[in-house]
Amino acid sequence: MDLQLLISGISLGAVYALVAVGYAVVFSVLKFSNFAHGGMISACAYMGYYFQRAFPAPPPFYVTLLFSAFAGVALSFLIDTIAYRRLRKQQSPAIYYFLASIAISILIVNLLSIFFGKNLYAFPPIFTSTTFYIGSIRFSSIDTLILFVSLAILTFLILLINRTRIGLAIRSVAINSQTSRLMGVNPDVTIMTVFAIAGALAGISGVLLAMKLSVYPTLGSQMMLKGFVASVVGGLGSLGGAIIAAIFLGVIEIYITYYLGSLSTPIVTFGLMLIFLAVRPVGVAGKFAQEKV
Amino acid sequence: MSHILEIRNLKINYGVHEAVHGLDMDIAEGKITAIIGSNGAGKTTIINAISGIVKREGTVIYRGRPLTQKAHRVVREGVVQVPEGRRVFAGLSVEENLRLGAYTVRDKKQIQKLLEQQYELFPRLEERKRQDAGTLSGGEQQMLAISRGLMSHPRVLMLDEPSLGLAPVIVEDVFNHIKRICEDGVTIILVEQNAKKTLSICDYGYVIENGRKVMEGNGSDLLENEEVQYAYLGVDRQEDPQDP
Ligand SMILES: Nc1ncnc2c1ncn2[C@@H]1O[C@H](COP(=O)(O)OP(=O)(O)OP(=O)(O)O)[C@@H](O)[C@H]1O
Ligand SMILES: [Mg+2]
Repeated sequence: MDLQLLISGISLGAVYALVAVGYAVVFSVLKFSNFAHGGMISACAYMGYYFQRAFPAPPPFYVTLLFSAFAGVALSFLIDTIAYRRLRKQQSPAIYYFLASIAISILIVNLLSIFFGKNLYAFPPIFTSTTFYIGSIRFSSIDTLILFVSLAILTFLILLINRTRIGLAIRSVAINSQTSRLMGVNPDVTIMTVFAIAGALAGISGVLLAMKLSVYPTLGSQMMLKGFVASVVGGLGSLGGAIIAAIFLGVIEIYITYYLGSLSTPIVTFGLMLIFLAVRPVGVAGKFAQEKV
Repeated sequence: MSHILEIRNLKINYGVHEAVHGLDMDIAEGKITAIIGSNGAGKTTIINAISGIVKREGTVIYRGRPLTQKAHRVVREGVVQVPEGRRVFAGLSVEENLRLGAYTVRDKKQIQKLLEQQYELFPRLEERKRQDAGTLSGGEQQMLAISRGLMSHPRVLMLDEPSLGLAPVIVEDVFNHIKRICEDGVTIILVEQNAKKTLSICDYGYVIENGRKVMEGNGSDLLENEEVQYAYLGVDRQEDPQDP
Protein backbone atom coordinates (compact mmCIF):
# COMPACT_ATOMS: atom_id res chain seq x y z
CA MET A 1 0.00 0.00 0.00
CA ASP A 2 2.69 2.46 0.97
CA LEU A 3 4.99 1.28 -1.80
CA GLN A 4 2.22 1.89 -4.26
CA LEU A 5 1.81 5.43 -3.01
CA LEU A 6 5.53 5.95 -3.30
CA ILE A 7 5.63 4.79 -6.90
CA SER A 8 2.63 6.90 -7.73
CA GLY A 9 4.39 9.85 -6.09
CA ILE A 10 7.66 9.31 -7.91
CA SER A 11 5.80 8.89 -11.16
CA LEU A 12 3.95 12.18 -10.63
CA GLY A 13 7.20 13.82 -9.55
CA ALA A 14 8.98 12.54 -12.64
CA VAL A 15 6.41 14.29 -14.85
CA TYR A 16 6.80 17.44 -12.78
CA ALA A 17 10.52 17.03 -13.42
CA LEU A 18 9.91 17.03 -17.18
CA VAL A 19 7.93 20.25 -16.78
CA ALA A 20 10.52 21.77 -14.45
CA VAL A 21 13.41 20.91 -16.76
CA GLY A 22 11.60 22.37 -19.77
CA TYR A 23 11.22 25.56 -17.82
CA ALA A 24 14.71 25.49 -16.26
CA VAL A 25 16.61 24.94 -19.49
CA VAL A 26 15.08 28.09 -20.99
CA PHE A 27 15.73 30.02 -17.79
CA SER A 28 19.36 28.95 -17.64
CA VAL A 29 20.13 30.27 -21.11
CA LEU A 30 17.73 33.19 -21.54
CA LYS A 31 17.37 34.16 -17.85
CA PHE A 32 13.64 34.65 -17.87
CA SER A 33 10.69 32.66 -16.53
CA ASN A 34 9.01 31.16 -19.54
CA PHE A 35 5.41 30.89 -18.38
CA ALA A 36 4.35 30.12 -21.95
CA HIS A 37 5.61 26.64 -21.15
CA GLY A 38 2.33 25.89 -19.35
CA GLY A 39 0.30 26.97 -22.36
CA MET A 40 2.43 24.77 -24.60
CA ILE A 41 1.77 21.77 -22.37
CA SER A 42 -2.00 22.27 -22.63
CA ALA A 43 -1.88 22.80 -26.38
CA CYS A 44 0.21 19.65 -26.81
CA ALA A 45 -2.17 17.66 -24.61
CA TYR A 46 -5.03 18.61 -26.95
CA MET A 47 -2.98 17.84 -30.04
CA GLY A 48 -2.04 14.47 -28.60
CA TYR A 49 -5.65 13.77 -27.71
CA TYR A 50 -6.98 14.56 -31.19
CA PHE A 51 -4.12 12.70 -32.82
CA GLN A 52 -4.91 9.62 -30.76
CA ARG A 53 -8.58 9.84 -31.74
CA ALA A 54 -7.95 10.58 -35.42
CA PHE A 55 -7.42 6.93 -36.25
CA PRO A 56 -10.04 4.18 -36.30
CA ALA A 57 -7.71 2.04 -34.21
CA PRO A 58 -5.63 4.21 -31.84
CA PRO A 59 -1.95 4.33 -32.86
CA PRO A 60 0.66 2.86 -30.51
CA PHE A 61 1.39 5.02 -27.51
CA TYR A 62 4.93 5.91 -28.53
CA VAL A 63 3.67 7.24 -31.88
CA THR A 64 1.37 9.65 -30.08
CA LEU A 65 4.19 10.65 -27.78
CA LEU A 66 6.50 11.26 -30.72
CA PHE A 67 3.85 13.22 -32.58
CA SER A 68 3.22 15.37 -29.55
CA ALA A 69 6.93 15.98 -29.04
CA PHE A 70 7.31 17.21 -32.61
CA ALA A 71 4.17 19.32 -32.30
CA GLY A 72 5.71 20.82 -29.17
CA VAL A 73 8.93 21.70 -30.99
CA ALA A 74 6.94 23.36 -33.81
CA LEU A 75 4.83 25.29 -31.32
CA SER A 76 7.91 26.36 -29.38
CA PHE A 77 9.51 27.75 -32.56
CA LEU A 78 6.27 29.50 -33.42
CA ILE A 79 6.10 31.16 -30.00
CA ASP A 80 9.76 32.15 -30.22
CA THR A 81 9.14 33.74 -33.62
CA ILE A 82 6.01 35.58 -32.51
CA ALA A 83 6.98 36.62 -29.02
CA TYR A 84 10.69 36.48 -28.27
CA ARG A 85 12.82 36.89 -31.36
CA ARG A 86 12.30 40.61 -31.72
CA LEU A 87 12.96 41.15 -28.02
CA ARG A 88 16.23 39.30 -28.47
CA LYS A 89 17.23 41.43 -31.47
CA GLN A 90 16.67 44.58 -29.44
CA GLN A 91 18.30 43.11 -26.35
CA SER A 92 15.24 43.92 -24.25
CA PRO A 93 15.32 43.47 -20.48
CA ALA A 94 14.15 40.18 -18.96
CA ILE A 95 10.86 41.67 -17.76
CA TYR A 96 9.72 42.05 -21.40
CA TYR A 97 10.25 38.35 -22.03
CA PHE A 98 8.44 37.56 -18.83
CA LEU A 99 5.41 39.63 -19.84
CA ALA A 100 5.43 38.19 -23.35
CA SER A 101 5.49 34.66 -21.97
CA ILE A 102 2.56 35.32 -19.63
CA ALA A 103 0.61 36.89 -22.50
CA ILE A 104 1.24 33.85 -24.69
CA SER A 105 0.20 31.50 -21.91
CA ILE A 106 -3.10 33.34 -21.32
CA LEU A 107 -3.70 33.50 -25.06
CA ILE A 108 -3.28 29.74 -25.46
CA VAL A 109 -5.52 28.88 -22.51
CA ASN A 110 -8.27 31.14 -23.83
CA LEU A 111 -7.98 29.89 -27.40
CA LEU A 112 -8.29 26.34 -26.09
CA SER A 113 -11.35 27.30 -23.99
CA ILE A 114 -13.01 28.93 -26.99
CA PHE A 115 -12.46 26.03 -29.33
CA PHE A 116 -12.85 23.07 -27.01
CA GLY A 117 -14.79 24.42 -24.02
CA LYS A 118 -13.81 23.88 -20.46
CA ASN A 119 -14.85 20.23 -20.40
CA LEU A 120 -12.50 17.53 -19.33
CA TYR A 121 -11.60 15.07 -22.08
CA ALA A 122 -10.47 11.68 -20.90
CA PHE A 123 -7.48 10.37 -22.79
CA PRO A 124 -8.32 7.10 -24.53
CA PRO A 125 -7.03 4.26 -22.33
CA ILE A 126 -3.92 2.54 -23.60
CA PHE A 127 -3.95 -0.42 -21.24
CA THR A 128 -6.68 -3.03 -21.10
CA SER A 129 -6.17 -3.34 -17.39
CA THR A 130 -5.42 -0.36 -15.20
CA THR A 131 -3.32 -2.31 -12.72
CA PHE A 132 -0.95 -5.24 -12.62
CA TYR A 133 0.63 -7.32 -9.90
CA ILE A 134 4.22 -8.19 -9.18
CA GLY A 135 4.00 -10.78 -6.44
CA SER A 136 1.35 -9.50 -4.10
CA ILE A 137 1.98 -5.81 -4.79
CA ARG A 138 -0.42 -3.94 -7.03
CA PHE A 139 0.97 -1.38 -9.46
CA SER A 140 -0.90 1.19 -11.52
CA SER A 141 -0.11 0.51 -15.19
CA ILE A 142 -0.28 4.13 -16.20
CA ASP A 143 1.87 5.37 -13.31
CA THR A 144 4.51 2.79 -14.04
CA LEU A 145 4.58 3.64 -17.74
CA ILE A 146 4.81 7.35 -16.99
CA LEU A 147 7.59 6.72 -14.52
CA PHE A 148 9.71 4.79 -17.01
CA VAL A 149 9.12 7.17 -19.89
CA SER A 150 9.94 10.20 -17.75
CA LEU A 151 13.08 8.68 -16.26
CA ALA A 152 14.27 7.62 -19.70
CA ILE A 153 13.78 11.11 -21.08
CA LEU A 154 15.41 12.77 -18.08
CA THR A 155 18.43 10.48 -18.42
CA PHE A 156 18.65 11.28 -22.10
CA LEU A 157 18.52 15.00 -21.35
CA ILE A 158 21.16 14.87 -18.66
CA LEU A 159 23.48 13.03 -21.03
CA LEU A 160 22.68 15.50 -23.80
CA ILE A 161 23.52 18.48 -21.61
CA ASN A 162 26.58 17.01 -19.90
CA ARG A 163 28.17 14.81 -22.53
CA THR A 164 27.64 16.33 -25.96
CA ARG A 165 29.07 19.21 -27.92
CA ILE A 166 25.70 20.91 -28.18
CA GLY A 167 25.19 20.43 -24.44
CA LEU A 168 28.52 22.09 -23.78
CA ALA A 169 27.50 24.98 -26.02
CA ILE A 170 24.22 25.35 -24.10
CA ARG A 171 26.05 25.42 -20.79
CA SER A 172 28.56 27.97 -22.07
CA VAL A 173 25.84 30.30 -23.34
CA ALA A 174 24.11 29.94 -19.97
CA ILE A 175 27.30 30.98 -18.17
CA ASN A 176 28.35 33.80 -20.48
CA SER A 177 26.84 34.24 -23.89
CA GLN A 178 29.36 36.83 -25.09
CA THR A 179 32.38 34.71 -24.21
CA SER A 180 30.77 31.67 -25.81
CA ARG A 181 30.67 33.60 -29.08
CA LEU A 182 34.43 34.03 -28.82
CA MET A 183 34.65 30.22 -28.77
CA GLY A 184 32.80 30.04 -32.08
CA VAL A 185 29.43 29.12 -30.56
CA ASN A 186 26.49 30.57 -32.48
CA PRO A 187 24.08 31.72 -29.73
CA ASP A 188 21.11 31.85 -32.13
CA VAL A 189 21.50 28.17 -32.92
CA THR A 190 21.92 27.36 -29.24
CA ILE A 191 18.78 29.28 -28.32
CA MET A 192 16.82 27.47 -31.04
CA THR A 193 18.09 24.17 -29.62
CA VAL A 194 16.96 25.18 -26.17
CA PHE A 195 13.49 26.07 -27.45
CA ALA A 196 13.37 22.76 -29.30
CA ILE A 197 14.22 20.89 -26.10
CA ALA A 198 11.61 22.85 -24.13
CA GLY A 199 9.01 22.22 -26.85
CA ALA A 200 9.67 18.50 -27.00
CA LEU A 201 9.43 18.30 -23.21
CA ALA A 202 6.16 20.25 -23.24
CA GLY A 203 4.80 17.80 -25.82
CA ILE A 204 5.82 14.72 -23.90
CA SER A 205 4.76 15.97 -20.50
CA GLY A 206 1.47 17.20 -22.01
CA VAL A 207 0.54 13.72 -23.20
CA LEU A 208 1.70 12.03 -20.00
CA LEU A 209 -0.24 14.46 -17.83
CA ALA A 210 -3.29 14.10 -20.04
CA MET A 211 -3.17 10.34 -19.60
CA LYS A 212 -2.98 10.76 -15.86
CA LEU A 213 -5.32 13.69 -15.33
CA SER A 214 -7.35 14.12 -18.56
CA VAL A 215 -7.27 17.12 -20.90
CA TYR A 216 -8.50 20.63 -20.04
CA PRO A 217 -7.36 24.16 -20.93
CA THR A 218 -5.58 25.03 -17.69
CA LEU A 219 -3.88 21.64 -17.34
CA GLY A 220 -0.51 23.05 -18.42
CA SER A 221 -0.59 26.23 -16.37
CA GLN A 222 -1.40 24.24 -13.24
CA MET A 223 1.45 21.87 -13.91
CA MET A 224 3.70 24.75 -14.87
CA LEU A 225 3.20 26.07 -11.36
CA LYS A 226 4.43 22.76 -9.94
CA GLY A 227 7.37 22.78 -12.32
CA PHE A 228 8.11 26.36 -11.36
CA VAL A 229 8.07 25.50 -7.66
CA ALA A 230 10.41 22.60 -8.34
CA SER A 231 12.87 24.71 -10.31
CA VAL A 232 12.89 27.47 -7.73
CA VAL A 233 13.39 25.01 -4.90
CA GLY A 234 15.95 23.15 -7.02
CA GLY A 235 17.96 26.32 -7.62
CA LEU A 236 16.91 28.35 -10.66
CA GLY A 237 18.56 27.15 -13.81
CA SER A 238 19.98 23.98 -12.28
CA LEU A 239 18.63 20.89 -14.00
CA GLY A 240 19.78 18.35 -11.42
CA GLY A 241 18.34 20.39 -8.57
CA ALA A 242 15.04 20.83 -10.40
CA ILE A 243 14.69 17.09 -11.01
CA ILE A 244 15.34 16.17 -7.39
CA ALA A 245 12.96 18.86 -6.12
CA ALA A 246 10.25 17.82 -8.59
CA ILE A 247 10.35 14.19 -7.53
CA PHE A 248 10.13 15.18 -3.86
CA LEU A 249 7.22 17.44 -4.68
CA GLY A 250 5.36 14.62 -6.41
CA VAL A 251 5.88 12.21 -3.53
CA ILE A 252 4.86 14.76 -0.90
CA GLU A 253 1.76 15.65 -2.87
CA ILE A 254 0.60 12.07 -3.22
CA TYR A 255 1.10 11.33 0.45
CA ILE A 256 -0.65 14.50 1.57
CA THR A 257 -3.53 13.89 -0.80
CA TYR A 258 -3.85 10.38 0.55
CA TYR A 259 -3.70 11.24 4.21
CA LEU A 260 -5.11 14.79 4.36
CA GLY A 261 -7.15 15.11 1.18
CA SER A 262 -6.48 17.04 -2.02
CA LEU A 263 -7.71 20.39 -0.72
CA SER A 264 -4.79 20.83 1.65
CA THR A 265 -2.12 19.85 -0.92
CA PRO A 266 -1.45 23.31 -2.38
CA ILE A 267 -1.31 24.83 1.11
CA VAL A 268 1.23 22.29 2.28
CA THR A 269 3.38 22.29 -0.86
CA PHE A 270 3.59 26.06 -1.18
CA GLY A 271 4.11 26.33 2.58
CA LEU A 272 6.99 23.88 2.31
CA MET A 273 8.46 25.85 -0.58
CA LEU A 274 8.39 29.09 1.41
CA ILE A 275 9.99 27.44 4.42
CA PHE A 276 12.62 25.80 2.25
CA LEU A 277 13.51 29.06 0.49
CA ALA A 278 13.68 30.91 3.79
CA VAL A 279 16.16 28.35 5.07
CA ARG A 280 18.11 27.86 1.86
CA PRO A 281 17.52 30.70 -0.61
CA VAL A 282 19.91 29.31 -3.21
CA GLY A 283 17.91 26.11 -3.70
CA VAL A 284 18.95 22.46 -3.62
CA ALA A 285 21.79 22.89 -6.10
CA GLY A 286 23.29 25.82 -4.24
CA LYS A 287 23.94 27.72 -7.41
CA PHE A 288 21.78 30.64 -8.32
CA ALA A 289 21.51 31.69 -11.92
CA GLN A 290 21.42 35.47 -12.02
CA GLU A 291 18.46 37.17 -13.61
CA LYS A 292 19.51 38.94 -16.78
CA VAL A 293 19.62 42.69 -16.24
CA MET B 1 56.47 41.25 -45.42
CA SER B 2 52.90 40.08 -45.92
CA HIS B 3 49.99 41.34 -43.86
CA ILE B 4 47.49 38.83 -42.58
CA LEU B 5 45.13 41.61 -41.47
CA GLU B 6 44.74 45.01 -43.08
CA ILE B 7 42.53 47.44 -41.22
CA ARG B 8 41.39 50.59 -42.97
CA ASN B 9 39.39 53.51 -41.64
CA LEU B 10 38.00 51.48 -38.74
CA LYS B 11 35.25 53.33 -36.88
CA ILE B 12 33.39 52.01 -33.86
CA ASN B 13 30.38 53.58 -32.17
CA TYR B 14 28.77 52.77 -28.87
CA GLY B 15 25.39 54.36 -29.51
CA VAL B 16 26.08 58.03 -30.20
CA HIS B 17 29.54 57.91 -28.66
CA GLU B 18 32.32 57.16 -31.14
CA ALA B 19 35.11 55.19 -29.46
CA VAL B 20 37.43 54.64 -32.44
CA HIS B 21 37.73 57.28 -35.14
CA GLY B 22 39.05 55.93 -38.42
CA LEU B 23 42.01 53.72 -37.67
CA ASP B 24 44.49 52.13 -40.10
CA MET B 25 46.54 49.17 -38.96
CA ASP B 26 48.50 46.35 -40.58
CA ILE B 27 49.23 43.08 -38.85
CA ALA B 28 52.27 41.22 -40.12
CA GLU B 29 51.88 37.47 -40.55
CA GLY B 30 53.79 35.34 -38.06
CA LYS B 31 54.85 38.34 -35.95
CA ILE B 32 53.86 39.91 -32.66
CA THR B 33 52.05 43.21 -33.09
CA ALA B 34 51.44 45.23 -29.95
CA ILE B 35 48.66 47.70 -29.23
CA ILE B 36 49.39 49.89 -26.26
CA GLY B 37 47.61 52.90 -24.78
CA SER B 38 46.18 54.06 -21.50
CA ASN B 39 42.86 53.10 -19.90
CA GLY B 40 39.88 53.79 -22.12
CA ALA B 41 42.01 54.38 -25.23
CA GLY B 42 39.95 51.90 -27.22
CA LYS B 43 42.25 48.87 -27.33
CA THR B 44 39.65 46.32 -26.25
CA THR B 45 37.12 47.98 -28.53
CA ILE B 46 39.43 47.46 -31.52
CA ILE B 47 39.93 43.75 -31.01
CA ASN B 48 36.27 43.23 -30.11
CA ALA B 49 35.44 44.84 -33.45
CA ILE B 50 37.78 42.45 -35.25
CA SER B 51 36.18 39.55 -33.37
CA GLY B 52 32.76 40.76 -34.45
CA ILE B 53 31.28 41.22 -31.00
CA VAL B 54 30.97 44.97 -31.45
CA LYS B 55 29.76 46.51 -34.71
CA ARG B 56 32.26 48.31 -36.88
CA GLU B 57 32.54 50.48 -39.95
CA GLY B 58 35.45 50.53 -42.36
CA THR B 59 37.22 47.52 -43.80
CA VAL B 60 39.04 44.61 -42.22
CA ILE B 61 40.82 42.50 -44.83
CA TYR B 62 41.92 39.09 -43.64
CA ARG B 63 44.15 37.02 -45.93
CA GLY B 64 43.08 39.14 -48.88
CA ARG B 65 39.33 38.99 -48.23
CA PRO B 66 36.91 41.04 -46.12
CA LEU B 67 36.53 39.46 -42.69
CA THR B 68 33.01 38.46 -41.64
CA GLN B 69 31.32 40.41 -38.82
CA LYS B 70 29.67 37.30 -37.35
CA ALA B 71 31.60 36.45 -34.19
CA HIS B 72 31.28 32.67 -34.45
CA ARG B 73 32.44 32.72 -38.09
CA VAL B 74 35.46 34.86 -37.25
CA VAL B 75 36.62 32.08 -34.92
CA ARG B 76 36.05 29.50 -37.64
CA GLU B 77 38.20 31.61 -39.98
CA GLY B 78 41.07 31.37 -37.50
CA VAL B 79 40.97 34.74 -35.75
CA VAL B 80 40.64 34.09 -32.05
CA GLN B 81 40.52 36.35 -29.01
CA VAL B 82 41.68 35.67 -25.47
CA PRO B 83 39.47 38.21 -23.71
CA GLU B 84 40.36 40.76 -21.09
CA GLY B 85 39.91 39.40 -17.57
CA ARG B 86 40.36 35.83 -18.91
CA ARG B 87 36.67 34.98 -18.61
CA VAL B 88 37.09 31.26 -18.17
CA PHE B 89 33.76 29.47 -17.77
CA ALA B 90 33.30 29.02 -14.04
CA GLY B 91 31.12 25.99 -13.38
CA LEU B 92 32.77 24.05 -16.19
CA SER B 93 35.86 21.94 -15.64
CA VAL B 94 39.26 22.91 -17.03
CA GLU B 95 38.97 20.28 -19.72
CA GLU B 96 35.46 21.37 -20.67
CA ASN B 97 36.79 24.90 -21.06
CA LEU B 98 39.46 23.60 -23.40
CA ARG B 99 36.92 21.57 -25.35
CA LEU B 100 34.82 24.70 -25.78
CA GLY B 101 37.90 26.38 -27.21
CA ALA B 102 37.88 23.63 -29.83
CA TYR B 103 34.17 24.11 -30.53
CA THR B 104 34.87 24.83 -34.19
CA VAL B 105 36.98 21.68 -34.58
CA ARG B 106 34.83 18.71 -35.60
CA ASP B 107 37.43 15.94 -35.73
CA LYS B 108 37.63 14.12 -32.37
CA LYS B 109 41.17 12.89 -32.95
CA GLN B 110 42.25 16.41 -33.76
CA ILE B 111 40.67 17.66 -30.52
CA GLN B 112 42.49 14.98 -28.57
CA LYS B 113 45.76 16.01 -30.18
CA LEU B 114 45.16 19.67 -29.41
CA LEU B 115 44.34 18.80 -25.80
CA GLU B 116 47.60 16.91 -25.45
CA GLN B 117 49.49 19.86 -26.93
CA GLN B 118 47.97 22.18 -24.34
CA TYR B 119 48.77 19.83 -21.50
CA GLU B 120 52.33 19.64 -22.74
CA LEU B 121 52.54 23.42 -22.88
CA PHE B 122 50.86 23.88 -19.48
CA PRO B 123 51.28 20.71 -17.36
CA ARG B 124 49.41 22.35 -14.49
CA LEU B 125 46.25 22.31 -16.55
CA GLU B 126 46.47 18.57 -16.93
CA GLU B 127 46.84 18.12 -13.17
CA ARG B 128 43.70 20.18 -12.76
CA LYS B 129 41.67 19.08 -15.73
CA ARG B 130 38.64 17.97 -13.68
CA GLN B 131 38.69 21.02 -11.42
CA ASP B 132 36.10 23.80 -11.76
CA ALA B 133 37.84 26.47 -13.83
CA GLY B 134 36.44 29.16 -11.54
CA THR B 135 38.53 27.84 -8.67
CA LEU B 136 41.87 28.19 -10.48
CA SER B 137 44.30 30.91 -9.40
CA GLY B 138 44.56 34.04 -11.52
CA GLY B 139 47.72 32.83 -13.23
CA GLU B 140 46.27 29.42 -13.92
CA GLN B 141 43.13 31.01 -15.33
CA GLN B 142 45.25 33.08 -17.69
CA MET B 143 47.09 29.96 -18.87
CA LEU B 144 43.73 28.27 -19.36
CA ALA B 145 42.37 31.22 -21.30
CA ILE B 146 45.41 31.19 -23.61
CA SER B 147 45.23 27.42 -24.05
CA ARG B 148 41.52 27.63 -24.73
CA GLY B 149 42.29 30.15 -27.46
CA LEU B 150 44.87 27.81 -28.98
CA MET B 151 42.43 24.89 -29.03
CA SER B 152 40.81 26.17 -32.22
CA HIS B 153 44.16 26.10 -33.97
CA PRO B 154 44.12 29.83 -34.77
CA ARG B 155 46.13 31.71 -37.36
CA VAL B 156 45.74 34.95 -35.43
CA LEU B 157 45.58 35.06 -31.64
CA MET B 158 44.54 38.35 -30.05
CA LEU B 159 45.43 38.62 -26.39
CA ASP B 160 43.80 41.34 -24.31
CA GLU B 161 45.94 42.32 -21.31
CA PRO B 162 47.20 38.83 -20.50
CA SER B 163 49.48 40.18 -17.74
CA LEU B 164 46.69 41.99 -15.89
CA GLY B 165 46.71 41.27 -12.16
CA LEU B 166 49.53 38.72 -12.27
CA ALA B 167 52.67 38.58 -10.16
CA PRO B 168 55.91 39.59 -11.99
CA VAL B 169 57.22 35.99 -12.15
CA ILE B 170 53.99 34.80 -13.71
CA VAL B 171 53.98 37.75 -16.11
CA GLU B 172 57.44 36.68 -17.26
CA ASP B 173 56.06 33.20 -17.81
CA VAL B 174 53.10 34.44 -19.80
CA PHE B 175 55.25 36.57 -22.08
CA ASN B 176 57.62 33.64 -22.69
CA HIS B 177 54.67 31.51 -23.70
CA ILE B 178 53.41 34.20 -26.05
CA LYS B 179 56.80 34.32 -27.77
CA ARG B 180 56.79 30.55 -28.07
CA ILE B 181 53.30 30.47 -29.54
CA CYS B 182 54.41 33.03 -32.12
CA GLU B 183 57.46 30.92 -32.97
CA ASP B 184 55.06 28.05 -33.67
CA GLY B 185 53.67 30.19 -36.47
CA VAL B 186 50.70 31.93 -34.88
CA THR B 187 50.32 35.65 -35.58
CA ILE B 188 49.92 37.53 -32.31
CA ILE B 189 48.10 40.76 -31.54
CA LEU B 190 49.04 41.75 -28.02
CA VAL B 191 47.04 44.40 -26.19
CA GLU B 192 48.80 45.54 -23.05
CA GLN B 193 49.20 48.15 -20.34
CA ASN B 194 52.61 46.70 -19.51
CA ALA B 195 54.24 48.77 -22.26
CA LYS B 196 57.87 48.11 -21.45
CA LYS B 197 57.64 44.35 -21.50
CA THR B 198 55.33 44.37 -24.49
CA LEU B 199 57.44 46.68 -26.64
CA SER B 200 60.51 44.61 -25.87
CA ILE B 201 58.99 41.41 -27.25
CA CYS B 202 56.88 42.76 -30.11
CA ASP B 203 58.01 43.20 -33.70
CA TYR B 204 55.79 46.18 -34.36
CA GLY B 205 53.66 48.36 -32.15
CA TYR B 206 50.79 50.81 -32.31
CA VAL B 207 50.12 53.45 -29.70
CA ILE B 208 46.43 54.30 -29.36
CA GLU B 209 45.02 57.31 -27.52
CA ASN B 210 41.36 58.37 -27.41
CA GLY B 211 40.46 56.07 -30.26
CA ARG B 212 43.23 57.36 -32.53
CA LYS B 213 46.60 56.03 -33.55
CA VAL B 214 49.19 58.44 -32.21
CA MET B 215 52.31 56.53 -33.09
CA GLU B 216 53.56 53.34 -34.70
CA GLY B 217 56.87 51.68 -35.31
CA ASN B 218 59.18 48.80 -34.53
CA GLY B 219 59.12 47.67 -30.92
CA SER B 220 62.66 48.75 -30.25
CA ASP B 221 62.15 52.19 -31.86
CA LEU B 222 59.06 52.81 -29.76
CA LEU B 223 60.92 51.75 -26.64
CA GLU B 224 63.48 54.45 -27.29
CA ASN B 225 60.99 57.09 -28.32
CA GLU B 226 60.88 59.97 -25.87
CA GLU B 227 57.10 60.47 -26.04
CA VAL B 228 56.47 56.81 -25.41
CA GLN B 229 58.96 56.73 -22.56
CA TYR B 230 57.30 59.70 -20.95
CA ALA B 231 53.70 58.56 -21.38
CA TYR B 232 53.96 54.82 -20.86
CA LEU B 233 57.30 53.88 -19.38
CA GLY B 234 57.35 56.29 -16.46
CA VAL B 235 60.49 58.09 -17.65
CA ASP B 236 60.59 61.78 -16.64
CA ARG B 237 60.77 64.50 -19.23
CA GLN B 238 62.37 67.88 -18.54
CA GLU B 239 60.45 70.30 -20.78
CA ASP B 240 56.70 70.83 -20.74
CA PRO B 241 56.05 70.45 -17.01
CA GLN B 242 52.33 71.31 -17.23
CA ASP B 243 51.66 68.33 -19.55
CA PRO B 244 49.42 65.75 -17.85
N1 LIG C 1 29.95 48.50 -24.10
C1 LIG C 1 30.28 49.80 -24.11
N2 LIG C 1 29.33 50.74 -24.16
C2 LIG C 1 29.64 52.06 -24.18
N3 LIG C 1 30.90 52.52 -24.16
C3 LIG C 1 31.90 51.63 -24.10
C4 LIG C 1 31.64 50.22 -24.07
N4 LIG C 1 32.82 49.56 -24.02
C5 LIG C 1 33.77 50.53 -24.00
N5 LIG C 1 33.22 51.77 -24.05
C6 LIG C 1 33.96 53.04 -24.07
O1 LIG C 1 34.84 53.03 -25.15
C7 LIG C 1 36.08 53.61 -24.78
C8 LIG C 1 37.21 52.60 -25.04
O2 LIG C 1 37.07 51.49 -24.13
P1 LIG C 1 38.00 50.21 -24.21
O3 LIG C 1 37.44 49.21 -23.29
O4 LIG C 1 38.17 49.83 -25.62
O5 LIG C 1 39.36 50.78 -23.62
P2 LIG C 1 40.73 50.03 -23.39
O6 LIG C 1 41.75 50.73 -24.17
O7 LIG C 1 40.59 48.58 -23.60
O8 LIG C 1 40.96 50.34 -21.84
P3 LIG C 1 41.59 49.42 -20.67
O9 LIG C 1 43.05 49.50 -20.82
O10 LIG C 1 41.12 50.09 -19.42
O11 LIG C 1 41.04 48.05 -20.83
C9 LIG C 1 35.94 53.99 -23.34
O12 LIG C 1 35.66 55.37 -23.29
C10 LIG C 1 34.78 53.20 -22.84
O13 LIG C 1 34.09 53.88 -21.82
MG1 LIG D 1 40.70 46.94 -22.39
